[in-house]
Amino acid sequence: MTAKISRRLLLQAGAASALLAGCSSGSSSGSSGGKTLNVAFFGDQSAADKAAKAAGPFLAAHPGVTVKFTGTSGTDWNDFFSKLLTQIAAGNAPDIACVATEGLQLFAAKGLAQPLDEYVKRDASELKPFFADVHPSLIEAMMYQGHLFELPTDFNAGNMFYNTSLFKAAGVDQPAETWTKDDFTAIARKISAKGGGVVGWDWVVRLWGSWTSWMYANGGNLLTEGKWDGGDWLWNTFYPGDPAAAGRGGGWKWGDPTANSAATVEALDFMIELQKQGLSPQPDVGGGDTLQGLFASNKIGAAIGGGFWAGGLHNAGMADGSFDVQYFPKWKTQRHLFGTAGYGIFQSSKNKDLAWEFLKTLVQPATIDLLIPGNASTPTRKSMMTPQKYADTGPKNWHVFYDTLTKFDNTAPIPAPPYYNAMAIALNKRTTQAMASGNAQSALDGLQADLETAAKAG
Amino acid sequence: MSTVTPVRAPHTSGARATPGTSRRRAARREAAFGYAMASLSLIAVFVFTAGPIVASFVLALFKWDVISSPEFVGLRNFRTLAHDQTVTKSLAVTLGLAVAIVALQVGLGLGLALLVAQRRSKIARTIFRTAFFLPLLASAASISIVMSYLFDQHFGVINYYLTMLHLPAVPWLSSTGGATATIVLVAVWQQLGFTFILFVAALGAVPPDILEAARVDGATPTRLFWRIKLPLISPTVLFASVVGLINAMQLFDQPYVMTKGGPGDATYTTVLVVYQTAFQNLQFGYASAISVLLFLILLLITAVQFTVSRKWVFYS
Repeated sequence: MTAKISRRLLLQAGAASALLAGCSSGSSSGSSGGKTLNVAFFGDQSAADKAAKAAGPFLAAHPGVTVKFTGTSGTDWNDFFSKLLTQIAAGNAPDIACVATEGLQLFAAKGLAQPLDEYVKRDASELKPFFADVHPSLIEAMMYQGHLFELPTDFNAGNMFYNTSLFKAAGVDQPAETWTKDDFTAIARKISAKGGGVVGWDWVVRLWGSWTSWMYANGGNLLTEGKWDGGDWLWNTFYPGDPAAAGRGGGWKWGDPTANSAATVEALDFMIELQKQGLSPQPDVGGGDTLQGLFASNKIGAAIGGGFWAGGLHNAGMADGSFDVQYFPKWKTQRHLFGTAGYGIFQSSKNKDLAWEFLKTLVQPATIDLLIPGNASTPTRKSMMTPQKYADTGPKNWHVFYDTLTKFDNTAPIPAPPYYNAMAIALNKRTTQAMASGNAQSALDGLQADLETAAKAG
Repeated sequence: MSTVTPVRAPHTSGARATPGTSRRRAARREAAFGYAMASLSLIAVFVFTAGPIVASFVLALFKWDVISSPEFVGLRNFRTLAHDQTVTKSLAVTLGLAVAIVALQVGLGLGLALLVAQRRSKIARTIFRTAFFLPLLASAASISIVMSYLFDQHFGVINYYLTMLHLPAVPWLSSTGGATATIVLVAVWQQLGFTFILFVAALGAVPPDILEAARVDGATPTRLFWRIKLPLISPTVLFASVVGLINAMQLFDQPYVMTKGGPGDATYTTVLVVYQTAFQNLQFGYASAISVLLFLILLLITAVQFTVSRKWVFYS
């Protein structure tokens, strides 16, 4: 009898413990007294600690408030988003998160992100200098279904970095702004001909700055392009009469998949052809650290990079002058792709007003400098693009980072619909399939089917 | 008339008890202590194993992205599963990898155990046992990260030596055959210590008098192995195969870290599909349905293994 009672008690205790364990996971910023802003940051904690310095001016203006940057590392943005979404599911949603183009529509469509429209309208006069300093394409990339969800702090367009010493050794002139795909191929051939494990070009399997840059230059895309209605309030308030804002809408509306269109297949076929000719190796999957390492080791003639490569190559030991950058080569067009990042507020935040005040601080030039130290990215504020900024790191041709947006008005963000994570997985899978099999058409037919399924699932 | 005073045990206060009462109290205390000790494990099993298993079966009937409320969809997830080529392909890939891994683990583990058992030096046997067992102590994720560097096409040590020998660099992780072989190799290398130790123990338990009798009868070492040792250790072979296959069918760390399932879907294992479906695509209900399917397949395979084992496993 005693044993039975004990067992029952034991089970009851066990069930109670399980319930307690299940209920104890949730916590919100509001529970900390409403004076702590939790910021989710993409990067390791040491990087997050550095970025946290950006909160200095805000903290000075708001005594008693604490801002806590929590770093979450990942191989790429989708890896970061997966971890962030898991945290949210566990009841640990931050007040603010750093989210790039890749995840903007994902968070907005799931109702996790707070539209900033009302805040922006309220503080329009205060924000005018910011918007006047930022290219409208970057703002539009932060919109979804007519609403603005983030104030962008930095961006990267897919330009072409090249190793000046390898170019010189191969007797190749530095490329002109108007260089073409054929010029590029000829250069890659000359550099690869030098041997010694050096290749003319290398790339990484991912959405930003991959073979997708060739796809854009060839007039293709993975998804049908469109624009959401709305956003007139923003364009009329901040960009009246600005030709760069003409035709802008309420954010990019990514439609039916077009992954196996002729232009897209041709672009991936070009990658296969370069590999077959020995002008590029099998590409790696991931964030591109290995690629930068190879470039810095003088093993690669050229590779796609954005403004973040300036800081990356400098940190890898490349001296200013040993590398430079040019616009992406022209194929059918010279359209570039870009990705931009910023900070958004979570719907679940109990400190939205305070978070908004912090967001306004984050887009001040001095703060952006702290967020992306050492040219770790390209600031969205054009006034920050100065020769002094690139004096230590290079490259000489740094102006292309921002001028890409103004010179090529068809430049667009990477296609990142709400089902971005599923798309990124499928893209990686099908690209590696194409490169291993040498059959772009078959791989992209598969990608088309994958994207159709993902779009349906939502 | 005399009165008889019953003899009673001294009972002056509650502090004293009869030997029987003391024993019962001691037994109760012991039982309570035992339950207290067991409760920690039971709670852990309930919260981290039994609970999630039951939850998976329930979740498989829902559509749930962890952010919105779950929506009951009945068997829809399973109907979708029936036509999902990604899952079908991943099951084929996983089964292929698992069979290769288990065959190599059992074969090599047994071979190495036989070789080590032949060593006369106790020190040598200890060194070999430790060396083969050590990889098992490291986490699969850590080993996979190190192996990614070793097998890296550009910076990898292996290709470095191949190039030194004027051999072409091999795209170990980016070609279909290379990635499959590398994943199998790494999984086998890490888990080999487990089967190896099992076989060392099993071979050590073979009665020496039987072996000696066979030798006296003129049995050659080969005959000794096939006719005496192998039948006697066959229960261990069955155990190693069953446990190995269950583990291999859940292969995740190596493909996740080293190949991300690629190139294409060459190393796209079912558990990797479950992970990506749940944690990247936020389709927890569908991911649970895939998990349930994997569970049922594992159950079936294990049942077949045990049924077939009646014909070849010898229980002395």
